Amino acid sequence: MSERVLVVIPAWNEAANLHGVVGELRGARPDDDLLVVDDGSTDGTAELARRLGCRLVELPFHLGYGAAVQAGVKYGLRRGYPVAVTFDGDGQHDPADVEPLIEAVRQGADVALGSRFLSPGAYHGGLFRRAGRRLFSLLLRALTGLRLTDPTSGLKALGPRGQTLFALARFPDRFPDADALVLARRARLALAERPARMRQSHNRHSMHGGGRAVAYTFNMFLSLLVAAAGRESDLRG
Amino acid sequence: MPIRQKIFFLTIAVVLLLVILELVRRRRLRVEYSWLWLASALTIVLMILRYDLLIWITGLVGAVIPTSTLFFFSILYLALLSLNYSVRLSDLTRQVKELAQEVALLRAESSSSWGAPAARPPDPPRASAK
Repeated sequence: MSERVLVVIPAWNEAANLHGVVGELRGARPDDDLLVVDDGSTDGTAELARRLGCRLVELPFHLGYGAAVQAGVKYGLRRGYPVAVTFDGDGQHDPADVEPLIEAVRQGADVALGSRFLSPGAYHGGLFRRAGRRLFSLLLRALTGLRLTDPTSGLKALGPRGQTLFALARFPDRFPDADALVLARRARLALAERPARMRQSHNRHSMHGGGRAVAYTFNMFLSLLVAAAGRESDLRG
Repeated sequence: MPIRQKIFFLTIAVVLLLVILELVRRRRLRVEYSWLWLASALTIVLMILRYDLLIWITGLVGAVIPTSTLFFFSILYLALLSLNYSVRLSDLTRQVKELAQEVALLRAESSSSWGAPAARPPDPPRASAK
């Protein structure tokens, strides 16, 4: 088994940011394998990834963030990577935060999350966002017994068991979130959290903007209940 | 029910039946889905021939006019049908996602210079531990 780390970079029309993201990752982590998952982009993201010399998984059409990440995780799983890191393609993550997550996985965590709220000078957002986050945090604690501060984080490191869970056919494939963590807990995976800085996202299609926030909250709530009350057999794929 | 009405609705029901059978025969409609449509068409025929049955059901559910019974059950039937389609769509969505990922992964494998997957299969999922 290779001891290499696979960095999965989901990218949907990120041609403008991908160059910077890949450059930064290469600078900070020259030994890692970078895999760009092109999620049906129309702006030449795949072409750019190829030119940058990244590994590339090119989805035939747009599937959405969760499914793109999942495709990358499947790639890692099939090649037997001991650690797969998910790292958003829009430049919001900092490569310097990857190492502590990998360390957490090496120390036995199956899923290690980068949290915005554990780092100094953290971003906290407006009143509603904070309230919403607090609600989910409490709900998550009630369901898993874990204190996790940032379940929405796109920066994660997954060990083999974490990868197996994320690759399940019935894994939440919209935006893996608190529901994913509830599933992880039910599958008896070890979860960990490490501080991570998040930059202002360049993302033009942010998933938590405006009126969608309400729909998102509602969906998340349902999805959480489904994750908590779902069938045991769904945890086995 | 006046004979004119009976003939009119019977004609419609029979045409519907023939269309369904023809669709199945041409394999445009899968056999396992066709029974539902056949049952619907036969129900219509039955309701035309045995109007007293409808009146009996109306009394049974406590409705006042047979038309309400008819509309109520028609709408209920359509609602259940949509629900059934939603379930099927959800299944198909998941299948399409899995297929798209598989296509992308296979393509990455066949076109890449990075070599085949590691010979050693990944660890069995402990996620299945009871």
